[in-house]
This record gives sequence, structure tokens and C-alpha cells, in this order.
Amino acid sequence: MTFAVETQGLRYRAGRNFAMEGVDLHVPTGAIYGFLGPNGAGKTTTIRLILGLLRATGGRIAVLGESMPAARVSVLARVGYVPDRPHVHPSLTVAQSMELHAAFHARWDARWATELKGQFRLADDRRVGSLSKGETGKLMMLLALAQLPELLVLDEPTDGLDPVVRRDVLEALLAYVSDRQASVLISSHLVHELERICDWVGLMDRGALVAELPMREFKSGIKRLYVTGAPALLDDTTPFTVLSRGPANGAAEQWLVRGWTPDMHDHVTSLGATVTDVIDLDLEEGFVELLRSFRDKR
Amino acid sequence: MFKAILKTQWQWTRTAVLLAAIAAFTMPLLSMNSNVPTIQPRSFISVMQTWGVGYVVLAATVGLAVAILAWSSDHRGHHVYALTLPVARWRYVLLRFGAGVVFLVPVVAALGAGALLAVTMFPIPQGLHTYPWALTARFGFAALVAFAIFFAISSATARTAGYILGAIAGVIVVQFLADAAGLHWDVVSHAVDLVLAYPGVLSVFSGRWALVDV
Repeated sequence: MTFAVETQGLRYRAGRNFAMEGVDLHVPTGAIYGFLGPNGAGKTTTIRLILGLLRATGGRIAVLGESMPAARVSVLARVGYVPDRPHVHPSLTVAQSMELHAAFHARWDARWATELKGQFRLADDRRVGSLSKGETGKLMMLLALAQLPELLVLDEPTDGLDPVVRRDVLEALLAYVSDRQASVLISSHLVHELERICDWVGLMDRGALVAELPMREFKSGIKRLYVTGAPALLDDTTPFTVLSRGPANGAAEQWLVRGWTPDMHDHVTSLGATVTDVIDLDLEEGFVELLRSFRDKR
Repeated sequence: MFKAILKTQWQWTRTAVLLAAIAAFTMPLLSMNSNVPTIQPRSFISVMQTWGVGYVVLAATVGLAVAILAWSSDHRGHHVYALTLPVARWRYVLLRFGAGVVFLVPVVAALGAGALLAVTMFPIPQGLHTYPWALTARFGFAALVAFAIFFAISSATARTAGYILGAIAGVIVVQFLADAAGLHWDVVSHAVDLVLAYPGVLSVFSGRWALVDV
């Protein structure tokens, strides 16, 4: 498997309150990778490190096979970026913003940019500073897409947008990805939104990558089990990962497990315990439970 | 690339440039017009030298305004847009600098036109000479020096600007302490001389700036 983005042992410190220690992130080529985490988890910082906007204190970053920040110029020519806050000059009009962006991107597709402008209902002569939040979001997405990137890095691109605008933006993104087989790294704390579009997911919390796995594995593999007669310790042969365990009603215990499949009942029985109930968690519940177990361990 | 930067930078620089160009054009005309009733060469030169301060102030102001405006939009966006463009950082700085230099040209040209028109329109006392080209060249160079210095300062971080202000404040504090201790050290004058007297970096701003002189 090749990776559009790969970090190894990425380290960064911002003041006393935030530190990233050894983040290993892998965005497979051609995948839509959902980067989840609560506010302040370090998602934006990681993205900025990946794009060379911040300098890491340690570790290695490779984007589209090139080392960052050493190959910054050639990498940025192949990456479309939508930041968490508007970065386009507010005194320019929509047309001027597009013209400026086009001048710096050799692969700019003017015809498609015009199409997208119509699709997003953006008027040429409107000043960026006078655009609504939704319109600004659409303009930033237009600029990122029309430069025909191989990798799109989107930092909370739909945060604060109304559902109609959000749908427009995500539809344009998905159309582009299916046409061009581009890779996408999209950060959000809107879990349900990512559940629909992503095929990989990475969970970040307090500067650490908690989990990184395919979305289907994440959705189907995280369960809450109710277990009676549970042993105090589980041996190494247990074929699933217990993320957390705690008391449930009565004599039962509640386990949050990853990698569970129905044929594993036998293994639990062999330990002298019985699984009385298996609950499927949706992405949001799984996300919350994963974070909870991670924080408990810390 | 340069054309795009020039065009966009013009959006937020044009008002300052147009106002400065109007001031630069009218200043020589006003200086000569205010001298019309004066027939004594000495008084004439004295008034011209007073106007000379105006050219210095205008050159410094134009340089400052164009430099600050060159970076204003990038500062507002915390430089995120510029830093994610696929262009080397030194090249981007050069593009912004080049665009700023281009915007100084209409102001310098306006001063030149105003100076030429003034020396043609108004009489001067016998024995005195006009220097419209020299004044224009000096103004252009001074505006460029001011622009370059302020461009460098405003492109830097707030910390760097703080160091510069701290250094200036340090000189003033040393002067204050020296005065309080009864020491006859003129630190401020020495510092000012170091910068303004030839070959100091701001020496172009000192000396005589007159459209008409002996």
C-alpha cells in the first residue's frame, strides 16, 4: 500500500499545554481519510505540519512521496488546501481571487473553475470580505479543486455551514475524487458527516493518534459486550481487543471491544464467561468510547 | 505571477498611491506659488528649504504606507494563503517587494511633473537655479529607502518589530539615565547622526531638499 501522506514519529510542541509525541499517520493513496477528534486534539496542528506551515520538532513527513518541508514547493503544487479559517484576501473579488490563484497553479483548470463558480452560485464581482460563511467555504473549495490536486487537505471544510451548502461542497468533492482518483485528508468533528464519505478514519486526541483503521472495520468492529462470569484477566490468545471494561447492571460487565466477530463467542465461553448481549455502536458512539478508553488509560 | 501580484496588491494600495501622487504633484507648485511675492533670493531660498521638509516627510510616508499595505492582506490572513502557494518564500517576498517598488513610480513621476511644471510656470530671482530632476531623483531614492526599510520590518514577526522598538527605547532610556546621573553624554544625537549623517542608512533624508537653490 502506498501513502499520500505518511508521518513517522511526528513531534511538535506549542507552549506548555500542547505537545504531539510520535504521531504515525498513514493516508492511503486514493482514500478519503477522515481525521476525527475533539476541538484542540491537534488535527489542525498536524495538518499545518504536513503542509509545512509549522516546523516539527522531530519525526518525518512524506507527502505524495516527497519529503516535507524540504520539497515544499513541488508538494504544494500538487495539494489543494482548505484551511479551517478563510485565508483568501478579503478585499479581492471572487474573480480576482480566482485569477490570483490561477497564476500560481500551473494545472489550474479555468473552464472547470467557471463551471464550479456557476454551480456554487458565486458572483464574479462580489468581494470575498462580503461573502457569507457558506459562500466563502464554497470559494475556498473551488480554489482547491480547480487547481486539480492529487491530494486535498481539508480542515473542517463544512464547519458552520448550513446543510444545503454542506451538501453542495461535499458533492463537488466526491465528484472530483471519483473523476481523478485523488486522495483526501479531511478533518472534522462532525462524525456523521465523515461516516458517509470516508473509507479510512484516524482518531486524534490530546496530540496523539488514538486509532487509525478502515472505516468499515471501525463501524463493524467496535461493539459493546455484556459479559457475565468475566475473568479478572484475559490471556494473550484473545482474538479481539478490549478497549475498556467496567461494571454493568447486576453481575454483568460491560466491555468495549474492537475486532469482534460472532465466532468469538466460543473463545469467551472457553474463558468461563458468557456474552449475553452484543450492541453495535455507530461511528459517533465508537468515537466517544474510543476517546474515553484512551483518556482512562492516560 | 508578478502581474497577478501587481494587480491584487494594487487593490489595497491604490488609494494611498493616488493621494500621495496628488500631494507630490501639488507640493512643488505650492512651494513656488507661495514664493511669488518674495523677491529677495535669501528669503526665497529660506521658504524653499521649509518646503524641503515636506518632500522628506512625503517620501518617508509613501515608503511607509506602500510597505505596510504590501503585507496588510497577508498579515490579516496570518500568511496562511501565501505559505500554501507553491512558490519559494524568498520569491514571494520578492514579488511583493517588486510590486511595491512599481507603486512608488507614479508618485515619483507626479513629483517630477509637478516640479517641471512649477519651474516653468513661476519666475525665480536672478542668480538662483532650479533642480527639478535632482529633487525628483532624490525623492525617488528616499522613498525607495523608506519602502525597503519598512517593508523588511513589516514582513517580520511582531517579535522582530518589538526588538527594533526596544532598541530605540533602549537608546532613550540610556540618555535619560545619563542625564539623571549628570553625565554629559548626548547618546540620542550620536545615534541620530549615525543613521542620518553620510554614510548612514537614512542619510538621503538629511541635507538640502530644495527645488530652487543657489
